[in-house]
Amino acid sequence: MAAAAAAPTVFLLMVNGQIESAQFPAFDELYCKYCFVYGHDWAPTTGLEEGISQITCKNRDAQQALVWNFPIDITFKSTNPSGWPQIVVSVYGPDLFGNDVVRGYGAVHVPFTPGSHRRTIPMFVPESTSKLQKITSWLMGRHPEFTDPKVVAQGEGREVITVRSQGFVTISFNVVTKDMKKLGYDVSPSDMQNP
Amino acid sequence: IETSFAEFSIRERMREKLKAARVQTDFPSAEEAYKFFTFSFDPDPENIKDETKSKKKSESNQEEEEGEEQECDEEDCLVNNREDLFIIDQMARDFLVVKPAEYKSYSERLQKEREILFTPSILTVPMSQKVPENMQPRYIEDEGLYTGERPIVSLSNQNILENRILRQEQGKRWFGDDGKLLALPSPIKQYSTRPPIFSLEEGIEPELETLYRKAMKPMHANQYIVGSGDPQGQFQLDIDISGLIFTHHPCFSREHVLAAKLAQLYDQYLARRQQNLTKLLTDKLHALRNAVQSSLDNSGTSFLHIYIYRQTRRLRDAEQEKDRTLLKTIIKVWKEMKSLRDFQKFTNTPMKLYLRKEEVDQRSDKKIYEAEIQAEINELLEEYMEEYEKKMEEYKTELQEWKSWKKAQKTKKKKKIKQSQDQEEEEAENSEYVEEPVKPIPPKLADSLEVEQQVREKAINIRRKPGEPVLIPELSLTGSVTPNDLCPRAEVLRREDVKKRSLFLKVLFNTKEVSRTISRQISSDFRVHFGQIFNLKIFNWPESLKLQIYETMGFSSTNLLAEMFIPVPETTVLTGRARTEEIEFSSNQRVMLDHEGVGSGVPFSFEADGSNKITLMTSGKVSSSVSWAIGENGVPLIPLVSQQKTGIPSALKNIDAVASIGTSGVTDMKKLAKWAAETKLDPNDPKNADLMQLIMVATSGDACVPGFFRLEQLQQEFNFASDEELNRSKRFQLLQLRHREVAEFRNYKQVPLLEREITEKLFENYEKRLRERDVIDSKDHLDAHRALVAKYLQKVRESVINRFLTAKHHFLLSDLVNEEEVPSLGNLGLSLFKLAEPKRPLKPRRKERKKVTAQNLSDGDINLLVNIIRAYDIPVRKPVLSKLQQPSRSSRSFNEMFAASPSPQSPTRSIDWTFNQVLVHPFVEVSFQRTVCRTTAAEGPNPNWNEELELPFRAPNGDYSTTSLQSVKDEVFINIFDEVLYDVLEDDRERGSGIHTRVERHWLGSVRIPFSTIYFQTRIDGTFKIDIPPVLLGYSKEKNLGNERSYDSVRSLSEGSYITVFITIEPQLIPGDPVREKLYYLLKFDTQEDEKLLQAAEKYQAECALKFPSRQCLTTVVDINGKTVFITRYIKPLNPPQELLNGHPNNSQAAAELVARYVSLIPFLPDSVSFAGICDLWSTSDQFLDLLAGDEEEHAVLLCNYFLSMGKKAWLIIGNAIPEGTTAYVLTWEQNQYVIWNPSNGRCYGQFDTFCPLQSVGCLISFDNIWFNIQQYDSPVRINFDISKPKLWKSFFSQSLPYPGLSSVQPEELIYQHIDKAAALELQGRIEKILKEKIMEWRPRHLTRWNRYCTSTLRHFLPLLEQFQGKAVEDDHQAELQKQLGDYRVSGFPIHMPFSEVKPLIEAVHSTGVHTIDVSNAEFALAVYIHAYPKNVLSVWIYIASLVRNR
Repeated sequence: MAAAAAAPTVFLLMVNGQIESAQFPAFDELYCKYCFVYGHDWAPTTGLEEGISQITCKNRDAQQALVWNFPIDITFKSTNPSGWPQIVVSVYGPDLFGNDVVRGYGAVHVPFTPGSHRRTIPMFVPESTSKLQKITSWLMGRHPEFTDPKVVAQGEGREVITVRSQGFVTISFNVVTKDMKKLGYDVSPSDMQNP
Repeated sequence: IETSFAEFSIRERMREKLKAARVQTDFPSAEEAYKFFTFSFDPDPENIKDETKSKKKSESNQEEEEGEEQECDEEDCLVNNREDLFIIDQMARDFLVVKPAEYKSYSERLQKEREILFTPSILTVPMSQKVPENMQPRYIEDEGLYTGERPIVSLSNQNILENRILRQEQGKRWFGDDGKLLALPSPIKQYSTRPPIFSLEEGIEPELETLYRKAMKPMHANQYIVGSGDPQGQFQLDIDISGLIFTHHPCFSREHVLAAKLAQLYDQYLARRQQNLTKLLTDKLHALRNAVQSSLDNSGTSFLHIYIYRQTRRLRDAEQEKDRTLLKTIIKVWKEMKSLRDFQKFTNTPMKLYLRKEEVDQRSDKKIYEAEIQAEINELLEEYMEEYEKKMEEYKTELQEWKSWKKAQKTKKKKKIKQSQDQEEEEAENSEYVEEPVKPIPPKLADSLEVEQQVREKAINIRRKPGEPVLIPELSLTGSVTPNDLCPRAEVLRREDVKKRSLFLKVLFNTKEVSRTISRQISSDFRVHFGQIFNLKIFNWPESLKLQIYETMGFSSTNLLAEMFIPVPETTVLTGRARTEEIEFSSNQRVMLDHEGVGSGVPFSFEADGSNKITLMTSGKVSSSVSWAIGENGVPLIPLVSQQKTGIPSALKNIDAVASIGTSGVTDMKKLAKWAAETKLDPNDPKNADLMQLIMVATSGDACVPGFFRLEQLQQEFNFASDEELNRSKRFQLLQLRHREVAEFRNYKQVPLLEREITEKLFENYEKRLRERDVIDSKDHLDAHRALVAKYLQKVRESVINRFLTAKHHFLLSDLVNEEEVPSLGNLGLSLFKLAEPKRPLKPRRKERKKVTAQNLSDGDINLLVNIIRAYDIPVRKPVLSKLQQPSRSSRSFNEMFAASPSPQSPTRSIDWTFNQVLVHPFVEVSFQRTVCRTTAAEGPNPNWNEELELPFRAPNGDYSTTSLQSVKDEVFINIFDEVLYDVLEDDRERGSGIHTRVERHWLGSVRIPFSTIYFQTRIDGTFKIDIPPVLLGYSKEKNLGNERSYDSVRSLSEGSYITVFITIEPQLIPGDPVREKLYYLLKFDTQEDEKLLQAAEKYQAECALKFPSRQCLTTVVDINGKTVFITRYIKPLNPPQELLNGHPNNSQAAAELVARYVSLIPFLPDSVSFAGICDLWSTSDQFLDLLAGDEEEHAVLLCNYFLSMGKKAWLIIGNAIPEGTTAYVLTWEQNQYVIWNPSNGRCYGQFDTFCPLQSVGCLISFDNIWFNIQQYDSPVRINFDISKPKLWKSFFSQSLPYPGLSSVQPEELIYQHIDKAAALELQGRIEKILKEKIMEWRPRHLTRWNRYCTSTLRHFLPLLEQFQGKAVEDDHQAELQKQLGDYRVSGFPIHMPFSEVKPLIEAVHSTGVHTIDVSNAEFALAVYIHAYPKNVLSVWIYIASLVRNR
């Protein structure tokens, strides 16, 4: 163990925090799913990679926030900062007829620097391809969805889709890294000020 | 009050309780509090309620009365109110207090404000308050630092601010050293950067008014056009050609040459004199000398000063020397000229040189001279001294070293003397001789006399002698030229020749002649005066300006002397301001003249003896000026620079710093620098930083403009490692390879972070593959041609895979978004209809299982389910020693073979055979990916197992993506074995007490199904023909005619055994179809077909798909080059090999079978496996025969083409078959019935054969049409193949779209190489050897004996088998072997395969399990026979047998 500590071969990234709340002015009774997308050189060591939250109702106050406070806790190990983990959040909720409909997809990179961070992700959904589709999808309660929510974490293939913004999700992260500096990756902001 | 009664009453009760508590004491005791929280309250009587109400009222009244004085009894109030905390239904106004508005008088307010507020004064703050004490204000700008312009603030505001800040703590921090408030430079730009906003209502300022102009057509669509619609010739370039001087001309006489030289030298002299470097340097030297002196006096020596001083002296000396030599040369040339004039007795040039002497004061001059020399001597001595000291130092250290060494030597010597006195001398000598360093020599001190002499010598050489007058040469043209009549004849001739010659100049603009000067005679002094100005009206941007000098001789030819380019002037060079510049030219023409003229390029000499030859070339100078003209209104006629596209070095042009000062396009950097100096640009202003840098780069000579153009000039800055470093690093390489999706690294996880953790092994496979790409591995292929083909296929595969990888990154909407289809009316109706369906139908249909997307799978998740149901007609064991006569079956006709009704076949066997029949115990073993499962053994030739076997599936590299799954090449082997029990009991007496049997398994046959088929079909359900070798030693195919049931009678007609299986994958995987579609989009436009035809094809296909979505319809296919080709182009009669036709000249049926066999012998290579399910590539028949590998389509096309050339009616069938899936078969019309041919194994079936593997027919294709099956059924048994009926078959070409006569892509004729029997024989030997080695290898624990006798017997059988195509074999192999081998128990069989590679052969032998026999005395026999067909098609027979000696 001591030998491993002396000459690390991987660095660790520990992320905990929570999916705090969401702002979806037009919708209520939402729940969210999250998952992590990361590159080839990353592997989760502990914690949950995916999760699904409880259903929350709108706060009655003026802000009308939808609060989940859904905890995230995961540790990654990696050998390469390329493919830094992203959290992909997708929000679902029932529509007028009680069908479960997606209300937004969004993704954000886990912050690079250790410390506490808050991120607000704009959420979007794919649009129907035509007016007629839109009407039927509303009638049938089957809105267009991504085949895989992880699509939003990648840049490829976006040119074929149209999306519409729906709201925001706020996530707080507490990030701890280990051995990054030892392996030559300087990410802490204090080092940037006085190198 | 709206609360419900129940709530109200509880509240009431609580209040009561509380009140009761308060009445007794103000605070409840602990007990009471406990009670309050735990006690269950009983309803209290009503009267208390009233009391509380009155109480409450009184309290609220009291509040109002008390008003402000409430605070006095706050605690009490609180306690009072505590009770009211529970009263929610109290009104808001109960808590409100109404008070009168407060007012304070104005003076009072002012008073108060004065206490709080501070008003800074508007008076100027004295400077002393603003700067730190005892400090003078310091003005940075005066010190030369850039301060920038301060933003404008009104003085009063500034004063107010200053006053306020000074009152603050540490207020002085806000003031700079100059006593002003700190401020950033004014951010306001001098000009507006935002376009002005017009408001249409208000009056528009005249200069901003927009004018309507009609659009004008540009005159020339040329990139060099300058004008933007303005009238032509608005731009004007003035070229002033004033004259021309020759520095050498062929007609120069020797005197002219000297004169030219003299003139040149004199020019040089004048230039030098103007510079007067010597004077400059001498002055500098004096100054430096003083400086050195003073520094010496003050504080030691300043080395820098001395160094500079010495440097300067050296420079001065050099300059002086140059001056002196120049002067000397001038005088020498002049003297030469004079002597020449004297010699030739005439003068040609008016040149005269005067040497003006300037007398100097001898004494003072001498004094200065001496002083100079003395000073120099002293300095030199000093220098030498220094050097000496340095050397001395060195010497001393060296000496020290030498001495210490010497000492060491001595001590050593002493020691040695003590040790051994005998060898003393010898050793001492040796050591000294070898190692002694040279004794350093002390440096010499410089001799002052010597130095003086040196200095004096030098001075004499380079300087004027003291007292000598200063010589100043002056050149004048005042001399007289000797008239013609006094000259010798040769000279006269020369002069006449000169007179005959005349010159003119051509002006070429953009390499086009625009004008030329008038022709002028060359004057005797070789000057030509033109004095012409050309006004070039241009509208093309000048790319080049060129002058050509032409010489005319008399009336004869004109001769191009030289060309020269004139630089295009700067935009700032305008007429009137342009200077005349001299441009030199020279010509390399060789001219030899027969008179006094020296010629050009001809060596000549001034000496009488002809030594010192020199060669001169025609050269000269043109003086001209080029400038831009100024128009009438003073506007320069210069084209817009922004359109300039000249070859000005782009690096300079790219930096648009110049544009920032409003004069873009200025390319003369020196002028720019001058301008910058004149305008006193502040070099510290950040605004000018670009410009300053540009000027610095341009004016400093060393920072040269790069000679290349870099596309991304900043790229280098962002490279974090150089390319070499990237290539060297294994880690970077690994990352790059993974990014490129190279197969080996595509899904490599966790690339190690440190270089040392990456092992070389990682790259081994990849590098091996790269190496082997070009190396033909003959070991695996045995045959050079096949190795080549394999290589070619590998390359095709790679290119297709690359194409596929690009397609993978090409997304369609359906890949990303799941969207519901808009339901059509029909669908809606159907779904309504579905509601009425019975919930539990009597005949339930198989429900589709849920499909699993492949990505979230891992090892062990997927299983292959193989359900072995039953088998028919398994060969049975033959009793030993039964000899049977069998009729030869080779003469049956088609009618007999395919008759729908069974023709009665009379049993020819003896009756007692049925009684003798020995049963079989067949079991099935399924092997897949090295996992083996077996069923239990069943009884009899028609066993019924009904067992489910589960085999795990592992994807290659754990990659469960669709692509990876598509490329799985593994096959499912279903082997049928017979379990034989042998009694090994040695002693009969023990039979009662023990069982000693040995179990042997005998291979009977196999079925192989590729995994890809299962993957694409999702399930395989059907009866397959078992691949049973034509001969199974010890077994016979028995037709059990004992029980004559109708079912059996139908079945018995087809020979062979069958097995019914059901195979599927659990869970169901989604076969990756969209890829194909995408590739189709990518390839769509890559075609040479007619657009109309393609549209029709698309339409046809869409129509067909709408009607019968499950039926295959093909109109266009992709050829091997990736181009779309119409399918009928593949069908064309092609000649089969003549040898095959010769074999059966009269029997067309046999010939057809032979041809089919030939086709089936071409190795099979499914596209869908090799090309990862992307697309079918159809190769033409000749390509197919060259490659010797292809899939069903190629086989079918070739067979169809052969049949057509044999005069049969043949079509291609596109349909579904088991187990291939979508496939191509061939349909022929033979003797009033349709026959279906399976091209991949050469078998044929009647239309009504129930065991035909073809399950459905999608369309038929002939050379001129496509027919799509629009009948109700698609099973070949149930459809009508009469394509002439449009109700049954929808044809592609019809009356509305007639067949356009498409040319075929097939070759005219197929050419076959002759059979190479020797090569086949050699291959045969090698394969036999390899197989024998392999069998021995598989039996590591046993000795493998080979029975040679049996082998040779087997070898005799094989050619016979080939001859009868393995169909009509003599069944008496067994008997013959028995006869020859005596009491061996033989079990074995021949295996037949088309030859492609050795590996499949080995696999096939291994899968039979012959080698697994465990008997210690078993012997083996193995024989290989290769029959060669034309075009290197090989049929391989392997006869393998095991022999056990009977006891």
